[in-house]
Amino acid sequence: MGLFSDIYNTVAKFFRPQEEQGDASKSVATNRLKLVLMQDRTNLTPRILEQMRSELIDLLSRYVELDKELLELNFEQEGDQVALMLSIPVIRAKDEEEIEAAIQAHKESLENDEESESEEFEEESETEEETDETESSEIAEEKTEEEIEAEKTDAIAKELQDVPKIIKKKKVSKPEEMGNNPFKSDETENIEDVIESSSENK
Amino acid sequence: MTGRVIVITSGKGGVGKTTTSANIGTALAKAGYKVVLIDTDLGLRNLDLLLGLENRIVYTIVDVIEERCKLKQALVKDKKNPNLSLLAAAQTRDKTAVNAEQLKEICNTLKEKNDFVLVDCPAGIEQGFQNAVAGASEAIVVTTPEMSAIRDADRIIGLLATKEEITSTKLLLNRVRPNLIKSNEMMSVDDVVGILEIPLVGIIPEDTGIITSTNKGEPIVNDEDALAGKAYRNVAQRILGEEVPFLDLDEPKGIVAKIKNAFAKLKAKV
Ligand SMILES: Nc1ncnc2c1ncn2[C@@H]1O[C@H](COP(=O)(O)OP(=O)(O)O)[C@@H](O)[C@H]1O
Ligand SMILES: [Mg+2]
Repeated sequence: MGLFSDIYNTVAKFFRPQEEQGDASKSVATNRLKLVLMQDRTNLTPRILEQMRSELIDLLSRYVELDKELLELNFEQEGDQVALMLSIPVIRAKDEEEIEAAIQAHKESLENDEESESEEFEEESETEEETDETESSEIAEEKTEEEIEAEKTDAIAKELQDVPKIIKKKKVSKPEEMGNNPFKSDETENIEDVIESSSENK
Repeated sequence: MTGRVIVITSGKGGVGKTTTSANIGTALAKAGYKVVLIDTDLGLRNLDLLLGLENRIVYTIVDVIEERCKLKQALVKDKKNPNLSLLAAAQTRDKTAVNAEQLKEICNTLKEKNDFVLVDCPAGIEQGFQNAVAGASEAIVVTTPEMSAIRDADRIIGLLATKEEITSTKLLLNRVRPNLIKSNEMMSVDDVVGILEIPLVGIIPEDTGIITSTNKGEPIVNDEDALAGKAYRNVAQRILGEEVPFLDLDEPKGIVAKIKNAFAKLKAKV
């Protein structure tokens, strides 16, 4: 948010008529606060968001070639709601063959996982639990491990059918237009009020 | 008799917990109720200054806990109002000198002989906060319309929600400056209530009179003319269960319909 927001703010201030400036400061505060409280109130710590990000990269990379460095996952103010926004800079679409191959490879890796899991279940269960605890203790506060496991299996089944659709819905944008800009919403909303009150102030 | 134990808390320091404790306590006592104020800010005691009682403190809460005196001996009566007394914090000890269980016991004893026990909480969310909250069944969360104070208030509200004993948590918005709200430079009462989502118990304007009242050691509720004094008297009435409309803070500068509407909406909500 920092540098870009600052520049944006300065530039926007310069072009905006005097009476609107107050509005910016108040609605910027309200919007920033809503976002930060959203983060405070959930257990989605930066580390967990990072994990989510890397899982999403794995998933999406099967279908498109994307710029991993520029993929952004952020909370964003959407009108009244706070949304989790994903912005994916796509370098190039993959062709059907590539996608099929990637899906196949993924399926196989899943099957391998399952096999090894059921074969060595007895021995491995203990060590597995330990690593789980250290790696995802914060998630565990929101969802139990079983829930996450169940969701994983569901998601994998669904993912194989649904993903192309999801990708279409995602916003693809240049980094400059990306999701973490709190100044976008509300910009015109209160202009009337502002004009009214600023004339009263004098 | 079983009195009500209300903790005044905030998370962030300097937003007006002590000022609020002194004023609500004084207002309730003036209305004829027996009130004890407890300062739990060990090492940073202030409530005695705001009440002008600093020269009368002999024993503190730590003396009570370490059994150097009886609880009754440590209660300092207000100069003007015998209904009001103060249990002061120790200035020379740190927060580890008291634990939650001990504070709870003190609150339980005090509420048997008083209508209200108001606990002035230190800043932060650690031991001092846990102590102050331990004996309370109601909470007033103080904030100002600034981002950092609101964020900390949100944290406190979340922590209070995990405490079974706390059955009511209300918001007191302090240092409101109508001019800044009018020019949209400060978050409005509506904005803050919308974000924190708990019922409002008071809106206190920024008032330079609070500085002079602190200098004199006399809470601003005693000043009939001060706007902040009136606002605090209203808070006391709301605590007593009366429905009092929120002050129109705009009066001196001409009424703006927008703010009036905001207050009207709030009244409906609370
Ligand atoms: N409504 C107000 N208007 C002007 N000054 C205020 C107001 N409320 C509090 N203050 C000032 O803010 C400072 C901090 O208040 P205090 O009650 O000690 O906060 P806390 O107990 O939360 O740390 C004090 O100097 C006090 O005089
Ligand atoms: Mg204080």
